Amino acid sequence: MTSELIYNRIINFSINEMIPDRVVVYKSQGIKQEPKVSKKINDLYDHALSIFTQDVEPKGILKEISIPEFAEVFQGNGENEENTPVQHIFPLADSLALFAFTLGKTISDTISGLFSRKDFALAYMLDSIASASADKAAFMVEQKRDKSSKTLLYSPGYCGWHISGQQQLFKKLEPGQIGISLNDQFLMIPLKSISGVLITGKKEIHNFDHDFTFCAQCTTFSCIDRQEHVIN
Amino acid sequence: MNILQQISDQIDLGDDEKVYELTTTAIEQKIPVKQILDEGLLQGMNIVGRKFKEHEIFLPEVLMAAKAMNAGMELVKPLLLSGNVPMKARVVIGTVRGDLHDIGKNLVGVMLKGAGFEIIDLGNDVTPERFIETAKAEGAQFIGMSALLTTTMPVMKEVVDRIRSENLEDKIRTLIGGAAVSKGYAEEIGATAYCYDGSNAIDYLNSVI
Ligand code: B12
Repeated sequence: MTSELIYNRIINFSINEMIPDRVVVYKSQGIKQEPKVSKKINDLYDHALSIFTQDVEPKGILKEISIPEFAEVFQGNGENEENTPVQHIFPLADSLALFAFTLGKTISDTISGLFSRKDFALAYMLDSIASASADKAAFMVEQKRDKSSKTLLYSPGYCGWHISGQQQLFKKLEPGQIGISLNDQFLMIPLKSISGVLITGKKEIHNFDHDFTFCAQCTTFSCIDRQEHVIN
Repeated sequence: MNILQQISDQIDLGDDEKVYELTTTAIEQKIPVKQILDEGLLQGMNIVGRKFKEHEIFLPEVLMAAKAMNAGMELVKPLLLSGNVPMKARVVIGTVRGDLHDIGKNLVGVMLKGAGFEIIDLGNDVTPERFIETAKAEGAQFIGMSALLTTTMPVMKEVVDRIRSENLEDKIRTLIGGAAVSKGYAEEIGATAYCYDGSNAIDYLNSVI
């Protein structure tokens, strides 16, 4: 990011800081690091990364929001699970900010183009780099917020916050300004985009047990890593 | 070394140009096209599939092999069609209406092609009508659907329901996959099968055709 975050603003990310960790990308493709990754795969990664750095147009948008205003956004279309972690966390926050980020349209078009040209391995590697990069954006804004407290991004579609919540979030945040639109199934276009609310407060507020009804079906368990990072 | 063996080896190495050259030569040598397919191209992909299952190689290497296999298939496919040599089965695949996540569906398509299935890929944002009309028009035995969002997975049920209401269940079977769905969901909506990845889909299809 070019400077510390200021509220209600568009954030330009530098391309270099959007490059994800190679190990994270390999892990997402099930590639084992031991005994060693083949030259073919390493070369493929390097090739995909050079395309990534050419095509990526990272942009974020951030908007400070009050607790009562967010309560309304979180209510969404009334489709959330009855009990969710976010509903217990946000009222305890020191500050809240809606956030959206995109890697832009070009990268998705390039991935599709590579697939059509039957460059399957390159297309998939580029896709995985882009997905890991979009995830990294969340981590980066979390780190850049006020250092005296802890910030985590919570997103519609996760932990009982129904994905239809995107609609209210979009109304308030207006990420059209950075080129993100929402389709009628609440999918963001361009595809490599993320959204949510940045909740800043004492680290303890982010701690919750994993015994919500939806935890049983969860396959990501990303909350556990996130909490460990913040709390320890 | 026998030319079919060479084709198979070059697929394993992921060299599409060599596979193209060797397949051209094999056709010029009048080797029966079905034999080129079975003992060269598919044989190569079988080896790659086995190595992948045994974690000797990873998905990128499988995809490089698939690209090489494709280079040979481009030459062989028109001859198979003109000679009326049947492919294993025809599968219409796509990502359902409202959903644009297509990387998983693409990977499954590539892997199924590599295993000798004929794939008609409708892309993403595919309506139930398009899935069914295409399967009917093309005489496909399977429809494979992908959904990554809970909001788009009900489209799969629409497809299954329409197949039932048109009494096509014996002709067209449905396969579902993607992050949003599960074996339980397949059972709930009456889809024929749920597959968690491309290898799993190959195993499933090979077991039922
Ligand atoms: C990477 C990822 C992202 C990336 C990009 C996604 C992409 N595909 O481009 C980023 C970080 C951008 C992202 C963003 C979001 N994501 Co996301 N994402 C994922 C994740 C972790 C992996 C998806 C992926 O790319 N997998 C790799 C591909 C290769 O796998 P695949 O598509 O599943 O396909 C394989 C199998 O499923 C199967 N398969 C697939 N289709 C088919 C079809 C047939 C016929 C068969 C046989 C098999 C089959 O075979 C494939 C090959 O192995 C999933 C969780 C998960 N574990 O799957 C969440 C997930 C899809 N995301 C989710 C959400 C909520 C979001 C966001 C809405 C969050 C937010 N508010 O910011 C946004 C939405 C983005 C948008 N454009 O609208 C949810 C969706 C839940 C829901 N309620 O619908 C998931 C399920 C995570 C969760 N909560 O559990 N995401």
